[in-house]
Amino acid sequence: MAEPITIESLGKTYPGGNVALHELSLAVEPGSFLVLLGPSGSGKTTLLRCLAGIERVTSGRITIGQRTVADGRTHVPPDQRDLSMVFQDYALWPHLSARDNVAFALRRRNLSREQCRIRAVQMLARVGLSALAERYPNELSGGEQQRVALARALIADTGLILCDEPLSNLDADLRERMRVEISSLVREAAATTVYITHDQAEAFALADQVGVLEKGRLVQSGTPEQIYTRPATPFVARFTGLAGEMTVRVRERDPDGMVFVEPVLGGGAIDEFSGGVPGRFPVRAPMEELPGETALLMVRPTGVRLNQDERHLAGRVTDVAFRGRGYEHAIDLDGSTRLTGVFAEFRVPRGEVVGLRMDPAGCHLYPAEPSDAQDHLPERAVVGAPES
Amino acid sequence: MPLFWLLLAAFILAPCACFLLLAVSPRLFSQGDQWFTLTYLHQALTGATAVAIVNSLWVSSAAAALGIAIGFPIAWLASRTTLPGRRFIPAAMWLVLLLPSWLPALGWERIVQPDGVMYRLGLDWPWVTHLIMGPFGVVLLLGLRCVPFSYLAITAAMAGLGQEFEDAARVHGASRLQAMRLIIPILAPAIWSALAIGFAESISDFGVAATLAYNSNFTLATYQLYADIGNFPPSFPLAAGMAWLLVAAVAIPLALQARALRGRSYAVLSGRTRQAVRREFGRWGKIGATGAVALFFVVALGVPGFGAVSASLLADYGGSFSLTWANYHALFAQTNLAAAAGGGLLSPLERSMVYGIITATITVIGGFIAARLLSKRRTKATGALDFLLLASVALPGVVFGAGYIFAYNLPIASRLGINLYQTATLLVIAYTASSLPTNARVLVGAVSQLQPSLQDAARAHGAGAITAWARGVLPVVSRPIVMAWLFTFCGVFLELPLSQLLYQPGSPPASIAIEDNLSNYHFGVGMAQSVLAVAFALALVGAVLGGYRLLAPAGWRRIGGTVRG
Repeated sequence: MAEPITIESLGKTYPGGNVALHELSLAVEPGSFLVLLGPSGSGKTTLLRCLAGIERVTSGRITIGQRTVADGRTHVPPDQRDLSMVFQDYALWPHLSARDNVAFALRRRNLSREQCRIRAVQMLARVGLSALAERYPNELSGGEQQRVALARALIADTGLILCDEPLSNLDADLRERMRVEISSLVREAAATTVYITHDQAEAFALADQVGVLEKGRLVQSGTPEQIYTRPATPFVARFTGLAGEMTVRVRERDPDGMVFVEPVLGGGAIDEFSGGVPGRFPVRAPMEELPGETALLMVRPTGVRLNQDERHLAGRVTDVAFRGRGYEHAIDLDGSTRLTGVFAEFRVPRGEVVGLRMDPAGCHLYPAEPSDAQDHLPERAVVGAPES
Repeated sequence: MPLFWLLLAAFILAPCACFLLLAVSPRLFSQGDQWFTLTYLHQALTGATAVAIVNSLWVSSAAAALGIAIGFPIAWLASRTTLPGRRFIPAAMWLVLLLPSWLPALGWERIVQPDGVMYRLGLDWPWVTHLIMGPFGVVLLLGLRCVPFSYLAITAAMAGLGQEFEDAARVHGASRLQAMRLIIPILAPAIWSALAIGFAESISDFGVAATLAYNSNFTLATYQLYADIGNFPPSFPLAAGMAWLLVAAVAIPLALQARALRGRSYAVLSGRTRQAVRREFGRWGKIGATGAVALFFVVALGVPGFGAVSASLLADYGGSFSLTWANYHALFAQTNLAAAAGGGLLSPLERSMVYGIITATITVIGGFIAARLLSKRRTKATGALDFLLLASVALPGVVFGAGYIFAYNLPIASRLGINLYQTATLLVIAYTASSLPTNARVLVGAVSQLQPSLQDAARAHGAGAITAWARGVLPVVSRPIVMAWLFTFCGVFLELPLSQLLYQPGSPPASIAIEDNLSNYHFGVGMAQSVLAVAFALALVGAVLGGYRLLAPAGWRRIGGTVRG
């Protein structure tokens, strides 16, 4: 039966003083699919391992179902938490066949050896590996190993399944196919699932609920749509995919919740069009008050389009990449501000000046950051926009 | 390169092949009438030789099992727990490994023998004497020698065994004990290797066989083979028959090990392997674990070390435990005893030091060439080399020595002008030939990691062949070369079976001089020589390692080293 999970003020400090988790609280509905998203070092693996019972928590409480499994005094060992897990490198025991690897997880169900074997073969058939049940892990491909690991996690019908970046070792094509399989098989099992990844596209595709972690803190939690359309902080916005960011001057606020901004561009700004380029354009009002006149504008790839006629900005194409269904352009606004992943169904050659139209739904405004904010910009956030 | 192959054929293949062939075709070497016979093999399986073989088989099996029974827990404690002093375990294990087996055996003997240190300390425990001076003592000493092999094999396997396998077992319902039971079979290759190597090392050991076992009237096969040659008249064909049995006894477990693991992969390393977590002990757990590990080193090193040092400070006769420097004085003074020992009691040590240095240097050069050939694309020639070296590793030293005596005593050797028997040259050649296979194995790992582009890049940027090698290759392999050199030196410095069979009369190497003194009841002087020999060897190892640290460029030392921070 699917279990709810409650995490209250969880803290984890490793020997040596490295604080991995800081006062983290989160609730997961029974049967829902939670994806914890964050960069390396954000604490997502530690959180997962605390849930599994592999790591002891330093402070706070974890409740699975009605049972407190970890707090300052209690530590229920992993084998008594009745959960299962898919490991990043699968952790298939090399001396056991695929069938025996899967059957191992049934030992706690007090079934006969024969019943365990039969069920293991049935489970392998569900993941499409019935013909390979007798093979050893080294005789299986990466995708097949991944399926064995998944079968092992699913077979015991535990109320909670944990997945530790299970797709990160696969190539792009296989990753997409396995993502679909994980999504459907785990939902069929109707277990609560906690899945960690650093890939926002994977997170949005899989999750009912996404939790974004930064430096051991949960900075936002919500549905994928909420996270994408209303990122709570610049970090969340960057980590979930940006075309770029720029400093803007706030010019006007209107009562409908829109704010008119004007980009603050450097001396190299393109000004080849008449009609007020760079110009003023509307964006959605921020969630928090803007303390000053200038603000930081974060632009999703969906927040900017090539448009010569109804343009807000102009820029020069510095790179163009064919993406199958069209072209993504990198556009330089002033020699230092650049927007990437600007989509068009047609190709615009490098060096050409283009007009850009901003879409308020894809533009998010935040209080201006210290000047070193650019140093923390994760590359993925700029160049890797999610498919939308 | 043809010269290299010729030397291999002359000094490894020919002597051993001739000797082994002798068992089935004595007439080929004018040692009998039959062109083909199995008589000597049959004889080797009857009477005293059969007893010796059976003794060797069960003692070696028990020793290998003891080695894994002690080595596995120590390896686990060292790699998976926060055991105090675990950093010292590797060095201490190497010391156990590098000490020739006869030294601890003599140390123990000198403690428990009637009139030994134990009795002189007033401990009248004849049951200890009976226990050690018998099969139990032989198994114990051979088993202790197997511990480093088990330890090295298991720690290497555990280093690659990440935490995930255990975590996966735990989250899927296994208790700590069940998880451990699941993990142990993943270490099967290491366990099989340790058992096979332990068995092979024990059955081919000559040091314990010629000392503790012989003095306990417990004959082992290697000593029996030596006796077959040493007795008058010597029976080379019978010794050759025994050699066949010994080689088979060594080869069978190695072959079984290879067969058991064939087609199976126990690969556990991946780029994302999570380092295993060290377990913290409670107070009593810590005391118990540290005590158990300390006990091993006390039994393996401490007791024989104490036996050797204390015996070296006791007079040969008398019942009291009064210490004296007389034995060490005798080493440095010219006495009758010294003169009888061939020009002074220290000269055997100096001689062995020179033999060791020459042998280690030649062996490292030859080993490097062989390793280079082995790491290249496999051809028939390199396949043959691989087989020859692997087979030679499995060849007991005493068989090697017997092969040399036989081959270089053949009339044809004399007719060809090769009069090497009973010369120091033949002894050094035998040392080199017997060390080369192991040395090549040690170096092949490092050499096969060499990218050909390292040398090519140096050549492409204007360096000559020698400069390219010195600048592009040598720095990368300098550390393995130094370690291989030391490994060979330590093996040769106090080597016993080859020295026993091949030393030049009047110029005994250290091990023979020590043995002679002990067998002539000059226990104190013999043990003082042993203590000094070990001190010499340790000083040389320290000097070489220190010299490398001081003289090698910083970049050389970084390769393969641990980067801090």
